[in-house]
Amino acid sequence: MTTILSMTTLFNASLAVYFCAMVCAVTGLISRKMLFDRVANALIVAGVSIQTLYLGVRWVEAGRAPFSNMFESLVLFGWTVAVVYLLLRIRTKLPWLAAAAAALSALVLAHASTFESDIRPLMPALQSNWLSFHVMTCFLGYGAFAISALASIGFLVVSRQNSTVASDTRQSLEMIVVQTISFGFLFLTLGILTGAVWANSAWGTYWSWDPKETWSLITWFVYAAFLHFKFMRGWRGRRAAWISILGFISVLFTYYGVNFLLSGLHSYAKQ
Amino acid sequence: MSECFEPNEPTGKPASGNPITRLLGSLVFALTVVLLLALACIAGTLIPQGSQVESYLAQPGDHPVLGVLTALGLTRIFYSWWFVGLLFALAASLLVCTRLRYRAMKRVTGSSRLRVMGSFITHVSLLLILSGGVVRVIWGQKGMIQFHAGQVVDRAESPEGELVFPFSIRLVKFDLEFHTNAMASKETPSDRLLVLWPEKELVAHYPIELNVERSVVAANAPAGTSPAFRVKVLRYVPDFTFDGATGEVKSRSDVPNNPAVQVEVIGGAGTNTQWVFSRFPDFGSHAGAGADMPLKFRFQTAPPEERRMQGPIKAFKSTVEVIENGVVADTRTIAVNSPLSRGGFTFYQTSYNPDDLSWSALQVVRDPGVPVVYAGFALMMVGLTLVFCIAPWLGEQTRMTGELR
Repeated sequence: MTTILSMTTLFNASLAVYFCAMVCAVTGLISRKMLFDRVANALIVAGVSIQTLYLGVRWVEAGRAPFSNMFESLVLFGWTVAVVYLLLRIRTKLPWLAAAAAALSALVLAHASTFESDIRPLMPALQSNWLSFHVMTCFLGYGAFAISALASIGFLVVSRQNSTVASDTRQSLEMIVVQTISFGFLFLTLGILTGAVWANSAWGTYWSWDPKETWSLITWFVYAAFLHFKFMRGWRGRRAAWISILGFISVLFTYYGVNFLLSGLHSYAKQ
Repeated sequence: MSECFEPNEPTGKPASGNPITRLLGSLVFALTVVLLLALACIAGTLIPQGSQVESYLAQPGDHPVLGVLTALGLTRIFYSWWFVGLLFALAASLLVCTRLRYRAMKRVTGSSRLRVMGSFITHVSLLLILSGGVVRVIWGQKGMIQFHAGQVVDRAESPEGELVFPFSIRLVKFDLEFHTNAMASKETPSDRLLVLWPEKELVAHYPIELNVERSVVAANAPAGTSPAFRVKVLRYVPDFTFDGATGEVKSRSDVPNNPAVQVEVIGGAGTNTQWVFSRFPDFGSHAGAGADMPLKFRFQTAPPEERRMQGPIKAFKSTVEVIENGVVADTRTIAVNSPLSRGGFTFYQTSYNPDDLSWSALQVVRDPGVPVVYAGFALMMVGLTLVFCIAPWLGEQTRMTGELR
């Protein structure tokens, strides 16, 4: 009971910290004071730390990786969005991206709180060491694609402005989009491949055209097309931003749409 | 027509040669094929496919739209000739682009070379994965085994015929385990009645549900055969006692000190009843039973703490013996995520029958394409790591060194 209470406290604390980070980042954007940006980033670091602790406690409590249902995967998604943002932050300073990433993490956690958070025993197919590796790699990819979509939306907004600052921002955003999509593509691929190896060890087939598998392949196609357009044809600007957004719509359908609209091998994920 | 390699990609010369090679090596062709595959995939997830169609058709009423979709071949998209054709078109495009990347690799140096090498390896990996799929389609086999405890099989049923193994396997036992977890959503009584029919090598497990009739059919009986026996539990007493004066069975208390069930058997020589005791499995009192009753009963009760805590299914597994030349060569337990591989065949635990826990279903797969596909998986990660991690890092190091100089 004590652990469950402390888990709830950790969950609520991470949600509150991300929300405060968003408020700070927005205040920094309006007031143009860097102090708020620094505080916002410190809060995102705190949010990730609290969430990491939460995931660790839940892992120990459940005796397995806490990545098995909608609640747990949303918590992981919020965490990967913030982690990918922090990895980018090491090199790129974009205050509004801090606001967007913190807002998305807070929103995802708030949405997670609408699902059943009880720790449930795993069904036989999920009792595998592949669970943590497969889900973690997929969600690192999803987190990176989320940041790339946020950066692409930012690019589309900024690309209408004509100023030196806007030009610098555009360049930074384009770089972020390429970096996050490259990172996300690597991890999505690893996620799909580990899923295939797992499926082969559980059911004797590495690919069965299950809706989740098929939609992850569609998402992979979209981002593969983006990378080819970018590196082979030198596509930049709004066209590249739109493909990035299309890719994230595909990610959302792979993650969310498939769970609720289509049935298949991953149907447990919506519980 | 745009070419496979543009000037901004440091890979060199555009595709040359005959028009077909130029077409296959063009980015537009490759991305058109990918777009068509993506659209087909979307359709394949939105339109019911394969067995889903049969489920829809089994529902009452007309299904005109489904009929039209089936006639158009849209209910088996992933196995249609045009989808397979698109995959071959993708493979042809990959082959030409891979060759071009190989040539380009020789012409560049430093981090660019690593990037092109990574791209080359990634394209080779995709070709390997597709080749593994072709090997599976041509030489792969898949079948099902359904057997009871004690039964020995040396082949599996498959739509293409039988898969014959160079050995036999015998099902020693099937186990169904439940989570004993306080967080389980609801309590499920785990007491079970075992019905044994030694002559027929049948062991059936039933949950204790009063007045629910269970059919007992011999394992090798043809489909549609009437059940040989019907069994039902008439009464459960947690603490059995017999009142000698009145001849009545009573429960001394609500505590399961001496749990027993009264079982009715219909069939054979007529109807008879008997008490089956959890703690005294060999003691049975027959009332009206013939001496030649072929069925034996066991009443299995879970420990009280387990009974309170029992939750959803934790595992289902089959213990099997592999028999080679009449000798038991190996004894293994097959479970979900823990298959048995032997002689090129892999046995997967896929199903069980909740009403007959002596029964197990295994899927048998022989897929010589798996090593090829896995080699493709490994190469793909090597290629992508080169493209997205090592080449950019090396490029940055080179730039930093240049700036320092």
